[in-house]
Amino acid sequence: MDAAVESKPESRPLRIALVGVPNCGKTALFNRLTGSRQKVANYPGVTVERREGERATPDGRGLRVLDLPGTYSLNPTTLDEAITRDVLLGRLAGTPAPEVAVCVVDAVHLPIGLRLALEVKRLGVPMVLALNRMDVARRRGVEINIARLSAELGVPVVATVAVRRGGADGLVELLEAARWSTPRAAPAGADAAQMPDQVRALLAAAGYSPPRANPWFARIDALLLHPVAGLLILLAVLFVMFQAVFTWAEAPMDWIKGAMGSLGEYTAAHLPAGPLASLLVNGVIGGAGNVLVFLPQIIILFFFILALEDSGYLPRAAYLLDRLMGFVGLSGRAFIPLLSSHACAIPGIMATRTIPNWRDRLTTIMIAPLMTCSARLPVYLLLIGALIPARHFGPFNQQGLVMFGLYCAGILSAFAVALLLKQFGGARQYSPLMLELPDYQWPHAGNLLLGLWERVKIFLNRVGGIILALMIVLWFLSTYPAPPAGATGPAIQYSFAGQLGALLQHVFGPIGFNWQISIALVPGLAAREIAVGALGTVYSMSTAGDDLAAQLQPVIASSWSLATGCALLAWYVFAPQCLSTLAVVKRETNSWRYPLIMAAYLFALAYFAAFITYRVVGAMSPGGVEL
Amino acid sequence: MLQQVLVTLIVVLAALFSAWKLMPARRRLQALRALDAWSASHPGLSAWRQRWLKPRIVRAAGVGCDGCAANDSHPPPPR
Repeated sequence: MDAAVESKPESRPLRIALVGVPNCGKTALFNRLTGSRQKVANYPGVTVERREGERATPDGRGLRVLDLPGTYSLNPTTLDEAITRDVLLGRLAGTPAPEVAVCVVDAVHLPIGLRLALEVKRLGVPMVLALNRMDVARRRGVEINIARLSAELGVPVVATVAVRRGGADGLVELLEAARWSTPRAAPAGADAAQMPDQVRALLAAAGYSPPRANPWFARIDALLLHPVAGLLILLAVLFVMFQAVFTWAEAPMDWIKGAMGSLGEYTAAHLPAGPLASLLVNGVIGGAGNVLVFLPQIIILFFFILALEDSGYLPRAAYLLDRLMGFVGLSGRAFIPLLSSHACAIPGIMATRTIPNWRDRLTTIMIAPLMTCSARLPVYLLLIGALIPARHFGPFNQQGLVMFGLYCAGILSAFAVALLLKQFGGARQYSPLMLELPDYQWPHAGNLLLGLWERVKIFLNRVGGIILALMIVLWFLSTYPAPPAGATGPAIQYSFAGQLGALLQHVFGPIGFNWQISIALVPGLAAREIAVGALGTVYSMSTAGDDLAAQLQPVIASSWSLATGCALLAWYVFAPQCLSTLAVVKRETNSWRYPLIMAAYLFALAYFAAFITYRVVGAMSPGGVEL
Repeated sequence: MLQQVLVTLIVVLAALFSAWKLMPARRRLQALRALDAWSASHPGLSAWRQRWLKPRIVRAAGVGCDGCAANDSHPPPPR
């Protein structure tokens, strides 16, 4: 301990790296130290990149804190583990080696963390051991003599509770008070074969007693991990989640719709007729306002997802689905990336770094966009609300059933594509899922609120940022040039957007899309939910003088056939429109080949699915197929 | 006439903002760096550079590419 501390004053921030096994609380500690709000979840593999944050110190020097992906060893098997090793060794370009490594160890599972701590110590980087989750450890009867452990290990050891305010004060005091030496060359130490003995010796010296087994956890696991009952419970949980999205959100959605309608009427009444009033009413309120309406449903959906994450249920779901995923040629490790893709495909694709086998990783990347991301939600919610009657079958809401079906369609199609890729790729060795199941816990209210707030902020930023800007551009394209003298049709037909829509209808006509939908698909390339705002703007412009703001659903219900609506839903199950996702695929695969293949196959699937849906639903509908 | 001017201004700003937001992160970072290099030679802009531009460069450098070895936004300090 003394060897790592010296009295040389420094002026630049002290570089600290948080290192530890997955799910030991590194990111929670990072948030506590830096005041940051990075995503925290009760399962391993959430952090796949390094993150950086700063903390001011009374002496003015400051701390620069790096949060590293979790790893069980410094002999990496996956890309995220390699990042951790490279940063610690100062091998990652642009990231100088840390001056202090804070090795975060879950006090409840001390033996697992100590092995990594010994490896980090062997690197010669000055180190502090943070015994995290000490509150839970004490409750479960874990005993650790911290002073003895520190003396035996030869590094400072502090207890932390990262999720509690003030829970990292001891660590901060230690980091601020000491003057740390520059990293030394790796000293000669015991080799890896001796590590288990060393860990046992340390545990004995620290008087470690393992946690009492919680009998309830075993009973709950017996039920939730049962191959049949567990799957049924998983389906029931998802089912209830989608029911709640439709039943609980009705009132707040009506409030927002009412507010948008009033705002549109007020603006139209108080501004002189002209381009500015048209821009505000049809472009801004009619466009962005239509997307804002779905905020309550998005909050409810993410409330469920975050609660399940925090409770420790999601890794169990991964365990349940492992065999099924192996059957279609996917690694069990693909579950977390695919689950993350339900929020957005981008973090999901980045999370595939935890998959060691390249072919498994590529398959997971290729099917990640088929998971129903949150950007599809406004489109689904709009179309389901407009086309599917809100009938109840006993406790079940018909709209919720359709939503559940669409999510299932995304998952099943992903499995089908994975199976196809497996057939083309030939047989491969199945690599079983190795996953540490976290303890069950009640969802932490702070984590839930923080997670929801982050989702709300992301959604509002998009509505007030890129969606609003694109709606204004689309309003311009839908308004100019003005119709020629003596024109009889709606003005938008003569505009740039109208002309583009007429061209696109040659492509999309066979799958039942009218020219308004064809126009909306173009700005929807930037992000899927923009199509909803675009439909709002286009319909505002093509129907004269009504208060369309936030009233898109009735217009769709009256002007589209059921076949067209269902075809658009089918299109969006596969739709490739997300340029950011394609850009991330390019970056992660370091090739244009895979994003191009992805865009082509998703477009073909979307077109085919929409075509079949349009024809089948049209044939079953009273009026048949007509456009 | 005033309405026409105002609407034109709003539409142009919206188009520029959309183009900026949809630009690949790497290009955006390059553009910010070019702006930084240009503003460095104008002392009158130093406060704006520190307060507005620098934080955006750090943020742009941190979006997605910070684990990538090709990222040279944080050159290691001399040892």
